[in-house]
Amino acid sequence: MRLSESLRTGALEIYHHKMRSFLTFFAISIGVISIMYSLTLTYSMSTATKNALNVAGHGRMLVQTRRYYQETTSMDKKEARDSLTLEDALAIRKIFPDLPMVSPLMFSGVEFSHQDFNDWNGVAGITPEWKKRGWIYKVHGRFINQHDVDTYARVCVLIQRGGWFKKPQWMKFYGWTDEFQGYIKHNGLLGKTVRMGDNLYTVIGILEEPPLEKNPKTFLDIEEWEARILVPITTMQRLMGNRWGWAEEGGIESIQVDAGSERMVPVYKRRIEKVLQARHGGRLRLDIKDFGEIIKTKLTDKHRTMYIMMVIGAIAILAGGIGIMNVTLATIYSRIKEIGIRRSIGATRGDIMMQFLIEAMLLGFFGGIAGILISMSGIQYLASKGDTDMMMVQWWMPLVAVLFAVMTGFLAALYPAYQASKLDPVEALRYE
Amino acid sequence: MIKCENLQKVYPLKKLHGYPALKGLDFSIEEGEFAAITGPSGCGKSTLLNILGFLDNPSSGHYLFRGRNVSTFSDSERSHLRLSEVGFVFQSFNLLPRFSALDNVRLPMLYLGTDSDESRVKAAALLERVGLADKADHSPLELSGGERQRVGVARALANDPKLLLADEPTGNLDSKNGVEVMALLKDLNAAGLTVIMVTHDMALAKAASRVIRMKDGLIEA
Repeated sequence: MRLSESLRTGALEIYHHKMRSFLTFFAISIGVISIMYSLTLTYSMSTATKNALNVAGHGRMLVQTRRYYQETTSMDKKEARDSLTLEDALAIRKIFPDLPMVSPLMFSGVEFSHQDFNDWNGVAGITPEWKKRGWIYKVHGRFINQHDVDTYARVCVLIQRGGWFKKPQWMKFYGWTDEFQGYIKHNGLLGKTVRMGDNLYTVIGILEEPPLEKNPKTFLDIEEWEARILVPITTMQRLMGNRWGWAEEGGIESIQVDAGSERMVPVYKRRIEKVLQARHGGRLRLDIKDFGEIIKTKLTDKHRTMYIMMVIGAIAILAGGIGIMNVTLATIYSRIKEIGIRRSIGATRGDIMMQFLIEAMLLGFFGGIAGILISMSGIQYLASKGDTDMMMVQWWMPLVAVLFAVMTGFLAALYPAYQASKLDPVEALRYE
Repeated sequence: MIKCENLQKVYPLKKLHGYPALKGLDFSIEEGEFAAITGPSGCGKSTLLNILGFLDNPSSGHYLFRGRNVSTFSDSERSHLRLSEVGFVFQSFNLLPRFSALDNVRLPMLYLGTDSDESRVKAAALLERVGLADKADHSPLELSGGERQRVGVARALANDPKLLLADEPTGNLDSKNGVEVMALLKDLNAAGLTVIMVTHDMALAKAASRVIRMKDGLIEA
């Protein structure tokens, strides 16, 4: 029999049993919804990891000390500890001149004011090497240079956030307005003098981020909190102190190192640890993470969500499959006569089997389509609420999900269809 | 056309011996004949018809259909013979209720792989021949018994069979419709189709060109 006719027959059967079909669609569509969600999440996570590594470079690692809350024993928590210092960073730079980047980082918070504007803000103390960490900015004016660092210059660089091409809906309702960002956007501060804490600084540069859709960092979510005001690290040490970071007095927050390639990460990890422990007489509780590790930690939570969704999805699909199997088996008992008639006019076993398989696959297909419609609108909704993972939905995901649903129908109907095809035509014909 | 040699059918029962439905039949039917098989209930006439219509295999003996020994054919080979060589007319019509009369007639053509449009034209012509051109879109549930049986005959003719098998074709019909259906079968026979009809009604059997009487799994005359 031609496929088109089999499809027509199958569709007719589905149409004639509306409630039965609806229940099957329901189970299948729940399965498809969770498959869509897990697929999107999985895809988003793997892309995020890849993007993060590409932007950061595959050789990146983060050198910092263990924070006291990371310690497991109370003795460790209370023990006096050494901090990383700027001198450590300089030493690493000097000992390993081949390292593409050694960027010390320090945090503080100050009151930022210009004319009538006042706002508390986070500040990062940096060296010129900072810009080697994933440069995505358009620079107005100039960046902080070595001279600024050497002379404790009272200069600062402001980061201006990118806007949205198409503002997500959640921003309109829930987004708070960042007054600092609004102020620097509309009051050309380049070259002006601003006050931070007790000192006056000159704004020597403004870094403009690309629009958020184009900014890989929007979808990364791997960087720690980022300060929007940058000053030379030496200036910060002298005038602000490390007020907002985790570091001890006189220390710096972290040193970001680029080993050049993934292969060199473990090598430099060992070497840097040795150098630092030598400098601190072994009193440093070091915590060197390569970016791969950091990203993995960040993704653990999402992995958990994904697995839960996948399990729910698998159960739902399984339930749908069992539903199809049950329905097909029941159908066969109520259609023994029909099978007999079809066999008597010349349908082969294969024809009968095909008929039931196609019918079940159609059930799976329509259920899958229903699931796609629901899940796509759900994903759109989540994406509009600012779920960056859900923005990563791909065109092929619905196809995969529907294919899955159709396969479920096929597999579930295999046994019942085989049973149907095995019926003896004479017996089936006599059945009332 | 049909030649049976020592045709036997034993239905397996749970214990030891099977039930012998056919105890060795020898007969032949020529092309163009209208044969009526009669006999009391349980004499094996339906069993014989099932074997003649390739629905069942004999337990032993030979069944030669147009020179081929089909008694050892596999299930799919017999399915194909049912599809292309014979047409069945049943006592209880056995139409598919969800399909229109036209689609019921088309069904065998679709299994044979006939083109969809072609099958529509051909099925419409067959329905016209049995006098139901205006009822093509009706479901069998909306047709009278006589009309249903005529749809059944049209379906039996769908793939231009060489042999028409009718199992009590008038059993569920009143006498007027019964006469009409019989007339239809005679017409078809007159046009060259071989017809084998099972009936227990001797009056109907007389309309046939030949009567085969059966009793207890054997042919009496």
